[in-house]
Amino acid sequence: MASLKRWVLVGLVGCLALALAYLPPRGATSSGRSVFAPQSPRGTPARQRAQAVADEWRGADASLRLLRARRQLQQLVRQASAGTSLIVVSESGDVWAAAPPIADSAIHVAWRRLGLGETKVRVAVVIQQAAQSQRHDRPAAEGGLAVYLAPDSTDRTTCIAVVSLGSYWSRALAGDLRGRLPLFEALVQTLKAGLGPCAFYAAYGTPGKSVRGWLVSRGWDLALTLDAGARGRQGNSLIGMADPRYPWYWEAIYSVPPTAVACLASRPDGCRAAVLAGASDDPTIPIPDIVRIDRHWGRVTRLVEDQRFLGDVARAVGRDRFLSFWTSALPVDTALAAALKRPVGEWTVDWQRDFVRPIRLGPAPPLGGVAIALAIAVLAIVVVTGTASRRQIR
Amino acid sequence: MRIILVLLAVTGIPRVLIGQRWERQVQERVQRTIAAVGPSPRLPVVRRSGMLNTDEAASFQTTLAQHTPYAIIAVCDDDCSRLQLTLLSPSGSDIAKERNSESLPILHFTAATSAVYGIRVVMEACRWNPCWYAIAVVPLRKIPS
Repeated sequence: MASLKRWVLVGLVGCLALALAYLPPRGATSSGRSVFAPQSPRGTPARQRAQAVADEWRGADASLRLLRARRQLQQLVRQASAGTSLIVVSESGDVWAAAPPIADSAIHVAWRRLGLGETKVRVAVVIQQAAQSQRHDRPAAEGGLAVYLAPDSTDRTTCIAVVSLGSYWSRALAGDLRGRLPLFEALVQTLKAGLGPCAFYAAYGTPGKSVRGWLVSRGWDLALTLDAGARGRQGNSLIGMADPRYPWYWEAIYSVPPTAVACLASRPDGCRAAVLAGASDDPTIPIPDIVRIDRHWGRVTRLVEDQRFLGDVARAVGRDRFLSFWTSALPVDTALAAALKRPVGEWTVDWQRDFVRPIRLGPAPPLGGVAIALAIAVLAIVVVTGTASRRQIR
Repeated sequence: MRIILVLLAVTGIPRVLIGQRWERQVQERVQRTIAAVGPSPRLPVVRRSGMLNTDEAASFQTTLAQHTPYAIIAVCDDDCSRLQLTLLSPSGSDIAKERNSESLPILHFTAATSAVYGIRVVMEACRWNPCWYAIAVVPLRKIPS
């Protein structure tokens, strides 16, 4: 009988091991799309390729404009009066002009709201408006793309931001949307977000080599918004908006890298890996240091709500502690943990919980499958026990 | 008065005020320090200024006249807390180094022979990069024997 018990135990342990190894993780089953649900519009391979080439062209064009802007802006920076830390110009179809008064006013409001006054690093903003007449020999301009030239690429104390407004805002600024004027507040928010890394340069100066190398290697994704407002589950991201009751929730979850998924499950190691990806002991900083940022909603991120991470760190720890991290010569991990006074992973777990309810990971057998498997297992044990007890020799 | 202000604006005379708060801060600071050490009226004061991020260094060369006592002064802005100043021989080796005076290092040196000496400044701690610095090589009045 003792031998039988041992075999039953071995069998159960084996089943458990197999279940752990082979059962699909939570949410990995087919989403079982309803036939009534509309199909997501997906272009043909040729169209996707054309769009990819157009994106590359836009990126190269933006970098070229930035380098051209560098020369033009140097003159403006020299002419700027003492104490002027924000310079704004407008560009449309390679024609430079003073920024439209409403845009100039909106960006100065944004600057003040970010708490910026006279700063060590000046910011020169080029508001790029879509041309009135579309040229057919090049891709159409898109809003949501921004390009930045970090200090040391022009002079030590100027950061240039080229913010592409797209056709809607361009038409609004040109007065084509008469009677349907968009809110001034929305323009302030757009331009505030458009300052991107330049806002961090203005607020905290040039980062130390290790922090700068880390941010450069990951495209400044953690420092896109200096002040994104109060934390909370407002649903700004795809995952934040997703509802666990619907199958596409898990599709949204698994669209981010594994470390971000682990972070959503409140695992400190995953959060730490997601935050510190790109940190290196020997960082390299390219010259010219051009940062291209795609602000389109739904872009793949390394961490949910990553664009506000360092802004939230700065608000949580205060200016002095954030500056000691920002300019530190220590490795990023050590410097950030010292500023947070907590391990990076643990702090990030709590921060992430403010945006998304923690998810549960691990094998997730379907209920029906479990019931059938258990019934078969019990039946097998009963049959084996019955057979064994009948064949027992007394 | 209004006409004078307009003329000043047009001619660009106020450009002397151009420069950020921190730049003006170090220029005023170095000026006060030069006045405090008592420069010789016979020889000119050599001045350099610029900005550095934490751990960056800058150097320049200047000719020091023989048997003339010099004070080599470095100052930096309010965000800088440690500045290192080094005097280098014509061959490039260290002659003197001052790193204990935090944001106001001063070296005193009298050259045995006239030669081109190097001066190096290292921004050891700057809490808001970049930090402005200014260096002055001040020939002093001869110390009465």
